[in-house]
Amino acid sequence: MKPFEYKFSEKLDEILDILSKFGPEAKILAGGTDLLIELRRKPAKFPKAIVDISYVKELDGIYENDNHIILKPLSTHTQIYKSNVLRRKAYLLSEAASQIGSLQIRNRGTVGGNIMNAAACADTVPPLIALNAEITLQSINDARILPLNDFFIKPYKTKANPDEVLTEIKFSALPENAKSVFIKLGRRNALSISRLSVAAVLQQDDSGKILDARLVPGAALPTWRRVTEAEEILIGEKPSMELFRAAGAKVSEVMISYTGRRWSTEYKEPVISALVRRALEKCVMT
Amino acid sequence: MKVNIKTKINNKVYELSVSPNQTLLHFLREELGLTGTKCGCEIGECGACTVLLNGKAVNSCLVLVPQIHNKEVLTVEGLAEGDVLHPLQKAFIDYGAVHCGFCTPGLLMTSKELLDENSEPDEVEIRTAIAGNLCRCTGYIQIVEAIKGASKELRKS
Amino acid sequence: MEQNYKIIGKPESRVDALGKVTGKAKFAEDYNVAHQLYGKVLRAKHPHAKILKIDTSKAEKLPGVEAVLTAKDIPGSKVFGIVVQNQAILAEDRVRYLGDGVALVAAKTKEIAEEALELIEVEYEPLPVVTDPEDAAHPDAPKIHGDDNVFVHHKVRKGDIEKGFAEAEFIIEKKFKTQFIEHSYLEPEAVLAEPSEHGGVRIIGSVQNLFSSRRSVAAALNLPLNKVQIIQATLGGSFGGKDEVMTSMCCRAALLALKTGKPVKMVNTREESMLESYKRHPYTMYYKWGIKKDGSITAMEIKIYADGGAYASMSPFVTWRSVVQATGPYYCENVKTDVYAVYTNNNYTGAMRGFGSPQVNFAIESMMDIIAEKVGKDPLEIRLQNGFERGAITATGQTLDHNVSLKEVLTKAAKEIDFQNKWRQYKSAQDSPIRRGIGLACSYRGVSLGAEGTDAAGTIVSVQTDGSVIVSSGITDMGQGAQTQMCQIAAEVLGITMDRIVFLNTNTSRVPDSGPTVASRGTIMGGYAAKRAAEIVRSTLLSVASEMTGYDVQVLDLKDNYLIDKDSGERLASFSELAAECFKKGRPMYGFGWYKSPQTSWDEEHGQGIAYFTFVYGTNIAEVEVDTETGKVNVVDFVSAHDVGRAINRQTVLGQFYGGVAMGLGYGLLEEFEIEDGIPKQLNFDEYLLPTAMDVPNVRAIIVENEDSTGPFGAKSIGEPTNEIAAPAIVNAIYNATGKRIYELPANLERVLLGHKLTRKGERGSVQKEKEELVIESCKIK
Repeated sequence: MKPFEYKFSEKLDEILDILSKFGPEAKILAGGTDLLIELRRKPAKFPKAIVDISYVKELDGIYENDNHIILKPLSTHTQIYKSNVLRRKAYLLSEAASQIGSLQIRNRGTVGGNIMNAAACADTVPPLIALNAEITLQSINDARILPLNDFFIKPYKTKANPDEVLTEIKFSALPENAKSVFIKLGRRNALSISRLSVAAVLQQDDSGKILDARLVPGAALPTWRRVTEAEEILIGEKPSMELFRAAGAKVSEVMISYTGRRWSTEYKEPVISALVRRALEKCVMT
Repeated sequence: MKVNIKTKINNKVYELSVSPNQTLLHFLREELGLTGTKCGCEIGECGACTVLLNGKAVNSCLVLVPQIHNKEVLTVEGLAEGDVLHPLQKAFIDYGAVHCGFCTPGLLMTSKELLDENSEPDEVEIRTAIAGNLCRCTGYIQIVEAIKGASKELRKS
Repeated sequence: MEQNYKIIGKPESRVDALGKVTGKAKFAEDYNVAHQLYGKVLRAKHPHAKILKIDTSKAEKLPGVEAVLTAKDIPGSKVFGIVVQNQAILAEDRVRYLGDGVALVAAKTKEIAEEALELIEVEYEPLPVVTDPEDAAHPDAPKIHGDDNVFVHHKVRKGDIEKGFAEAEFIIEKKFKTQFIEHSYLEPEAVLAEPSEHGGVRIIGSVQNLFSSRRSVAAALNLPLNKVQIIQATLGGSFGGKDEVMTSMCCRAALLALKTGKPVKMVNTREESMLESYKRHPYTMYYKWGIKKDGSITAMEIKIYADGGAYASMSPFVTWRSVVQATGPYYCENVKTDVYAVYTNNNYTGAMRGFGSPQVNFAIESMMDIIAEKVGKDPLEIRLQNGFERGAITATGQTLDHNVSLKEVLTKAAKEIDFQNKWRQYKSAQDSPIRRGIGLACSYRGVSLGAEGTDAAGTIVSVQTDGSVIVSSGITDMGQGAQTQMCQIAAEVLGITMDRIVFLNTNTSRVPDSGPTVASRGTIMGGYAAKRAAEIVRSTLLSVASEMTGYDVQVLDLKDNYLIDKDSGERLASFSELAAECFKKGRPMYGFGWYKSPQTSWDEEHGQGIAYFTFVYGTNIAEVEVDTETGKVNVVDFVSAHDVGRAINRQTVLGQFYGGVAMGLGYGLLEEFEIEDGIPKQLNFDEYLLPTAMDVPNVRAIIVENEDSTGPFGAKSIGEPTNEIAAPAIVNAIYNATGKRIYELPANLERVLLGHKLTRKGERGSVQKEKEELVIESCKIK
């Protein structure tokens, strides 16, 4: 590994100060599961400084506040899937975290890193978008809150500035009667990158009518978003095979409207549709 | 530029001045001569370099060495107590879970975290835990059996 | 005949396991010496190009660099090869694939060596690239070596193929394709080479076949064999893979060591390993069979193109096994088989577990299911109908005069899992999108090298004066357990326990050239030699014992570390006392055993002869769940039945069963090393997908034991048989579930769902890929 300056602090304001000085020449290190792979590949723009935020305690932890969940960015995937709060109130997120990489990766990799690295196959992002999560970005002089929905520009590119640190992820707990799932399709059963995934939330009223539906496909669209076109088909209707099939087909159609027909469409078109249908079925069945 | 760190490796306290631009894997092998931890892919896929960091299994190829500051590291060399093998080590021998042996240290460390947290894991829990440790020789079956055997032993004691 | 063995057949712990669980076992990369330099290789920039000029001057000037070498610095032979001597240690005037080495650097640190590589300037003139073996076989194709890319043509001719097709009621023609497979030994290649006191070189490394590597190092450096010492470090897996790639690494490190006068260490990263190392051959196979309505086979016409890649390597031998076994263990009077190996600008291909059998077994066993369906039989019936029995004459005209246990393994495996009922049940329509299927495959396999060449090996058993024992052999251990088997055999013969024995890693200067440890010949050859060596020592010990006790040799025996009176069981002396007595009397307790295999023969023109001195038989059955909406296949149950002759160590035999199935599962479903226009796409384990613990099912193992007189205690082979039929069993199971047949491996998501592969042109391996190029389809980073 080429030489760099290693900077660390237990204090957030010191970290922000360091970042303001180095600007784009610094890279933030948390769990290291993406950054160290990248550094080993000898990137052309090798960072001058590595800023280790992993010792900042205030960036760690999962909290429940009123009906809100506050997820701090250093929370590892292991912490997420072991969290009882998340299992109860954001089941799809804990399901997604449990399927990431391997035990070793889950022990080190953080949700903040997953978001900030912005790989198209980042598995915690579709659930967080389905949860309508907002994120807080903080720099030395400023803090701003963005809907996660609005944060990504394209794979590996976000709206974060080089001097900003992701300090908080916040979302409302899912209602008691809402069901949620995350379905991941990989080539193998572990250590797998999502070939496609679906995050889904479904809430029905007492009569069974769908009150709320949220659908976010992963590794399908150029950037993540809720496929409202498909959600609209569901809302106000009663669950049925045909309805879920129609929603799946709509997601597929929306995907192609964004990506066009490319080399992989032949595969992704039927499969994303089936996965969406399955995710909805699973919501109804559980 | 060196970085000063304080750490505990295999129950021994170290105060060191380290070059930050190296991985924990490299540091253990090259600086401390702890070559039991193996280098297989350097991208966190194969698990041969797995060590415990504060009791958690991590790929040491994906840990920057200053990140062990104020933390405890356990490698395969620290698993036995003197000449007394850890039940996992003994079970790996007894159940034929060791073939070429290159994945073995990493697997032992991952299994240790598993058994430390879950004294009676079932087959699926074991397989889920060790899925980040690739083995090309065994087909994993004897490894799973060994972990089951060790968990039984540990519960007895 | 059940013998009362003390050690043979028992699940004795591996003699090397303790060192491996404590981290004390030393693999090649774990060796370091003072003042060692680090060697690195500059590899080709183009898959096929002329080298116009190499300028090393800037690299040489970099502080810390001690040597920069090119082909012109090699004093002796610049090429090597087991059969055809055409593989460049360093490319001189031409590169033929992307893994070719062009220059070497030795420097004080790895980082300096890497920096120096970037300062070497190589001028190339790119040449046309050919990557498909059938294209390469065309007369107009760009030539890789000489004036013909087809460098092997093996034939088998039996009966009259025209007559066979004339007799047929159906003719079935299919094309099958297999992929490049990376061995994926978890330990990347490494060596440490030191100048030695005799003016030669001493190398410790992760070498599978020490003697062939030694031959090449000696030739490259103009040294006699006795000045090149190669010692095997504990080997982190090989599977046939640490042969030529290690030979070139040994040659390069030795060259650097002798030029600098210092120890030189070389270690490949995973990417370097995957880029340079050879792979399992992709085969394109045309199978045309004539059958009758009753399911009997009247003709088999088989044409196979093997992608040999840039160098000959083991292709002549690999394809020879294919030509011998291409018809499977089935009766057929009329056979015409042609197997070609062709040069291309791909990675060269060579030995890998199976050695030419996994490819043909995929085709044969798919064909058997296809013909079964055609005549309305089930997969078991068609195989029992056509399968060999004792006395059968193979396609190469060999009469099988040993216990041909094909039907035994077939029926035992089928019974274990209720194959026929499940097969019928799953064949009928299933409602759920997740469908079950079950599939079967079987094989016969020639044991050891066969008519490939000289087949002999030596093992040394040396009892020390305190009664402890050292075993060493020309047969090497790479994790399969050969050393444990040899120790067990020695322990059995000497009547001692395993804890008394230490196995010394193989050292070319201390044991005789025993050929390569390949072809599942370790136990049969090294083991037989161990038995003979131990018997020599035993006979000396017993004669000394007779003198010592006054008992007749006939009534004495060695048992449980004691000399005993056979009749009364009385312990007359401890083994240690006996050893001490032997030493005192000046009698040798050193036994050298040599075993040469029974005679084989081969007529290359007609492809007829006694190809192998004996064969083994096996059956695999896979039960799968196929997700018909995504193409995902899960193997949920598995039966593996093999006749091993005799299991010397049940635990290691089971280990081979399980490991073989897992590797076969990877072959069937996941693994693929893709090369596009000469450029590999997968260079690490994020993209080259090995099965994980979550992908491999539990395996029901059935060890069948029909002792064979050709091996020690009746033992035969097991390493490779276990790896050669899992993929076709899985593919047949997918068909049973879905009615869709896979003709091209691996049966990945796209092939299972769509029936064909999807390729994104220009997608590259992770190393070369810039992040910006990454789009949704190729998400590589976690």
